[in-house]
Order: sequence, then structure tokens, then C-alpha cells
Amino acid sequence: MTKQQANWSPYDFNGGTCVAVAGADYCVIAADTRMSTGYNILTRDYSKICKLADKSLLASSGFQADVRALQKNLEARHQIYQHQHNKQMSCPAMAQLLSNTLYYKRFFPYYAFNVLGGLDNEGKGCVFTYDAVGSYEKVGYSSQGSGSKLIMPFLDNQLKSPSPLLLPAQDAVTPLSELEAIDLVKTAFASATERDIYTGDKLEIVVLNREGIRREYMELRKD
Amino acid sequence: MRMVEEGDRKLYPFRPYVCDGMKLDTSGLESTAPVFGIGNEFLSSGFQMTPSFQLPSATDFEGFQKEAIQMVKPAKGTTTLAFIFKHGVMVAADSRASMGGYISSQSVKKIIEINPYMLGTMAGGAADCQFWHRNLGIKCRLHELANKRRITVTGASKLLANILYSYRGMGLSVGTMIAGWDETGPGLYYVDSEGGRLKGMRFSVGSGSPYAYGVLDNGYRYDMTIEEAAELARRAIYHATFRDGASGGVASVYYVGSEGWKKLSGDDVGELHYKYYPVVPAASVEHEMVEVGAA
Amino acid sequence: MSIFEYNGSALVAMVGKNCFAIAADRRLGVQLQTIATDFQRIYKMHDRLFIGLSGLATDAQTLYQRLVFRHKLYQLREERDMKPETFANLVSAILYEKRFGPYFCQPVIAGLSDEDKPFICTMDSIGAKELAKDFVVAGTASESLYGACEAMYKPDLEPEELFETISQALLASVDRDCLSGWGGHVYLVTPTEIKERILKGRMD
Repeated sequence: MTKQQANWSPYDFNGGTCVAVAGADYCVIAADTRMSTGYNILTRDYSKICKLADKSLLASSGFQADVRALQKNLEARHQIYQHQHNKQMSCPAMAQLLSNTLYYKRFFPYYAFNVLGGLDNEGKGCVFTYDAVGSYEKVGYSSQGSGSKLIMPFLDNQLKSPSPLLLPAQDAVTPLSELEAIDLVKTAFASATERDIYTGDKLEIVVLNREGIRREYMELRKD
Repeated sequence: MRMVEEGDRKLYPFRPYVCDGMKLDTSGLESTAPVFGIGNEFLSSGFQMTPSFQLPSATDFEGFQKEAIQMVKPAKGTTTLAFIFKHGVMVAADSRASMGGYISSQSVKKIIEINPYMLGTMAGGAADCQFWHRNLGIKCRLHELANKRRITVTGASKLLANILYSYRGMGLSVGTMIAGWDETGPGLYYVDSEGGRLKGMRFSVGSGSPYAYGVLDNGYRYDMTIEEAAELARRAIYHATFRDGASGGVASVYYVGSEGWKKLSGDDVGELHYKYYPVVPAASVEHEMVEVGAA
Repeated sequence: MSIFEYNGSALVAMVGKNCFAIAADRRLGVQLQTIATDFQRIYKMHDRLFIGLSGLATDAQTLYQRLVFRHKLYQLREERDMKPETFANLVSAILYEKRFGPYFCQPVIAGLSDEDKPFICTMDSIGAKELAKDFVVAGTASESLYGACEAMYKPDLEPEELFETISQALLASVDRDCLSGWGGHVYLVTPTEIKERILKGRMD
């Protein structure tokens, strides 16, 4: 293989923000649809949410080429899993797979910031949040990407649930109903769009519950 | 299993330590059950099936690593501590992960349960620690199945140290303590990504460790009761979270005795502060203005 | 690490109905080490004019002393208090004097005009003014503050509602920032009174 030169830079940053909120029997995954590079907008209609299995959805921002490569890799792994086990992968299993997939690129990372949302085996909503090299954590809600610093404090304020590390343990389920959660996500994105240039155009919300998958869209600022 | 091949290795001629004698230790990465039936090879063409690390084909590997790390900013910053005392080992940690000045999580599980008799702590890169502790857990279990007895703390810590040593110079960031109970009694080792491995009675690792050491060294006695030891560990973590900006969240305390480990407490340090330092009713800061605008 | 982040800070000012609030965290640190948890970042120029100085604490204190000096000279000469707009111009001019070796401070100015109209503004370290009708933020937690304020702020809030909003926004933001927090300090200014409140916060 030919060696790359010293100024070799294989990454770009295409921006975007993802949010996921888990509830008692649902999971809301949302992301904006803007894709940009530098000060340019490449497209106003690019979906960042990828359905990996019946009950797991991946929302990713960062470098689109890496994100796509990662999605295709996971899709292929899931296809093989289905051939071998004759069933869909569960969300917690997908979470571990994603972690390992990211870590195997530890020395040449995928420039991708991921949130995985879905339903666990009992039908409860679950959200897993990642860094680019595969450290992951199960949480009640999370935000990743260019607007995450703007959205997280607001979600903390509205949803702050007791830490799972507390002993004696306290119940940590997001108290919101599905519709309230969707409204909250909409507010969060409308706010982030005001101040983050990489977030905007359109909001794609995917709701996962017992009935299946439902998609919703909301227009965001286009400037 | 695929080691880093001869051809790949030539890409880093400037790193004398990856020589023929030392290979990247990817053992334990593969799953024990065969992933594919025979003749399924075609499925794997196109992407990596054998577990191994993809490496960038850059001339300046270290420079690339530094830049990549700058971009992805893996989670860092910690206070962890562990000490041996009369009744066993006490292990405690905070739960904050930060990326630069931003707090990416307040609920990280930094004490990793390797098996019912052994714990590992997490400081440095979160992904590096999580992955290699999980990997260590697999290896310990395999050792147990092969030898019909549990691995010693000494053995487990050496397994981890050897792996980390084989990756030396490639930018891993791990500072961990392996604490547990084996046939020789309580055991405690410090292992880091530079290849260091130390046996000891008392360690603290992470950005908040200087503060934790202050409390720990001051309050430590070998013949403490379990309650006293837990209180000391909790206080040390609390004081570290107070002074260190990169530590905080929940102070978790674990105890390892002859019966295995047990979680003793998990306290939100936001509340712990007001327990240790109840607010004294100070003179009221509120005052009202009688007249406005009169200079 | 940027020199602006050396001590850590969080500052925010908000406009309400005929009132304003200005709030800051209470931490003074040296990088990650917390030195003090009762630090004053907001200064009172006169009864209805406040300035908060985020950034490097040593420059903030020096700058404040120069501002007090100039403001007192003005009071002596003019026998009246400075209008917020005038004061903003003064701060801007003093900052621009040091165009090529600036004070590493980002000020936030909040005041009530003689007609009880609230005025808030911020500027960069070399004095470029930025006036706002709703809220302004500064410091190491500024990004978090932008997000929180943008989501929580509503126009024309009554004083007590404004206090609640600014406090919630400040505490939510500093809890996501390593370099600020350790309690909060809020001034709520209405045409008739100044309320100063200390906020209890997470001490990590």
C-alpha cells in the first residue's frame, strides 16, 4: 500500500445534531437534515437516522463518509446475524456491536458521533450514547453532534433523572408521555437552530413504540 | 486471528519498540464461538471479519494519532482510588466524563466488575478502559474454564499490563487499578498504558488523585472497620470532586472481601457536599434600595 | 488551553418587563483546580448599572478598577450617574485602547435607563459591542448558556419569573461545564429595588 503524505487529511466535518429520548414504552430519535461543510450547505434534506434493526435506530453526525461506511458495516453485520440466528438483533446487542465496531478503528477512528435508540427485550425505551472511539453508556436521553452542547443543558433541566449509580437505587424512567417527549425534542431543536450554524432546515423525528415506527417532520430555520 | 502483519509494520520505522519480538496482542479479541459456518467466506469479503485494528497508512502515524485524538476528543478526567485494609480492599470512584471543558456525562460507571471477585477502575480514555477491561473479563473467564480455578489478581493484572505494553507508543490512555480477592487474600495492582504495573496497598489515579491522596493518607489506618474504610473512601472522592473540575457526579464505593465484591454506597456529591458542610444561616445578603437615582 | 479559559467563568444577563437580571457563577479556578468558591464576577457601577467580567480574573479586576476610576471622574464632572449606553461606549473605548495587547475579558453590561428601559450588551475583548433585546452570555459555559437561554427565555417576564428563568438557565449550564459553577450569584434589578441572591449549586 502506498503511504500517504504528511499533509494527508482524510476527514471532513459535515455537522448535524442528534437527540434521543427513552420513555417507559417508547423511544424518540431525532436529527436535523442539514449537511454542510465549512460555511457551505451541501444539502438541506439528508437523513441522519438509519434503521439498523426492527427495534434499533442509529442517529449519527460527524463526517458523512465515515457515518455511511459505519452504517453499511453494521447493516452487513446485522444481515449475517439474521442468517445465523434467524431473528433480529436486540437493541442492547446492537449497542455492544457498535461499540466494538468503533473501537476496532481505534487507531484510525470513524469520525462519527452516534446515538442509538430503541426498545429493549421488555419493550422499554433505551438510549445508548457513544464517543467516536466506542466508549458507550446506557442513558435516559442524550444528544450528540454540533449542537449537543446547546441541547444537553436544556434536556438536563427538563428531564434530569436520578443517576443509575445511586445506592439505594432510585427509579430513573423519563416521566414524560410520548407526545410530551416529541414536543420537548422540537423545542430543543428550534433553540439549537437559532445559534448553531450546522443545525437547521428540517427536523426528522422517528418514534419507536409497540405499534412500530412512525416518522414526523418539522421545518426548522433555513438560514 | 490476524496479527499486525509484517507489511503493515514497516509503516512505522520510527518506532523501535514494535520489533519482531513484540507483536500487537489481539488474542482475546476473537469470539470463542465460530462466527461463520464453513464456506461462508464470501460473506466477509469487503469488510473486516477477523477482529483486528485497522491502521491508517500515513507516513506520520504519531502525528495522525494526535490530530485524530484532537478531533474526536475522547472522554477523560477522573478520580479513582483503592486501598487494602484489614478486612479487604476498598475501591471508590467519581462518575464524570469530560471532553475538554464540556462535561459529556455525569453517570459513567468507572468501577468495572470483571468477575464477582475482581474489580477494575477506569481513568484515562473511556473507550480504551471499557474495551480492554471487557477484554480482560473474557480472558479471566477463559483462564477459569481452562484451569478450573479463578485467576489471581496478580495474574489478571499482568494479562492487562502485557496487552497494554504491546500497544505502547500507539496512543492508548489507560490508568487502572485491578483490585480483588484470591487464594492469597486481598490484592491490588496499578496498571497503566505506558506499561507500568505496581503492587501496592494504596493508590489513587486520575486528575483528582492529588486531592484524594491528601485525605486518604491522612485518614488511613490498616485496622479500620469496613464502615470506617468506606467513609474514608467516600470523603476522599468527595474532596477530590470539590477541588478538581474534571471530577464529579456520583461517588461510588465498592468493597471486596473474601465473599467477593459488594457495592456499599453511591452518593450524589452534589448532596454529599451539604451533608459534610451544612449551610450555616449567614447574614442576609438581600438588601433593598430606599431611593433610586440619587448619586 | 485558551487564556480566556484559565480561570473559568459563566455570565448571563436577561431582560424582563422594566427590569433586568444579571447572573454569574462563583468559582475561581486555575485551570482544573478550584481556588475559591465565593468569587465576585459582577460589579455594581451605580444603583442601576452592573458589569460582569468573564475571562482572565487578573485582567477583570484591573479593568474594573480602571472603569471605577473613569466612572467616578464622570460622576464628579457631570454630577449624575452614567447612562448604560454611555458606559458601554466607555468600556468599549478602554478595551480598544489595548487593541494589540488586549485585556483577556469578555464583559457583560446590564443597566436600567432613566426611563426604566432595560439595557444589556456584551462585547469581545477588544471592544466590539453587541447589543441584544433578550439575553447575552459570556464565559467558558457560554455555549451551554446559549442553548439553555434560547430554550427558556420568554420576553416581558415579571421580575420574579425572570429570576427563576435566569437561575435555572445558569445552573443547568454550569452543570455541563467543568470550569464554572460551585454556586451562583444573581442580581435582579427593578426600577425600585435591587435584589441580590446567592444560589446553592452543585459543588463539583
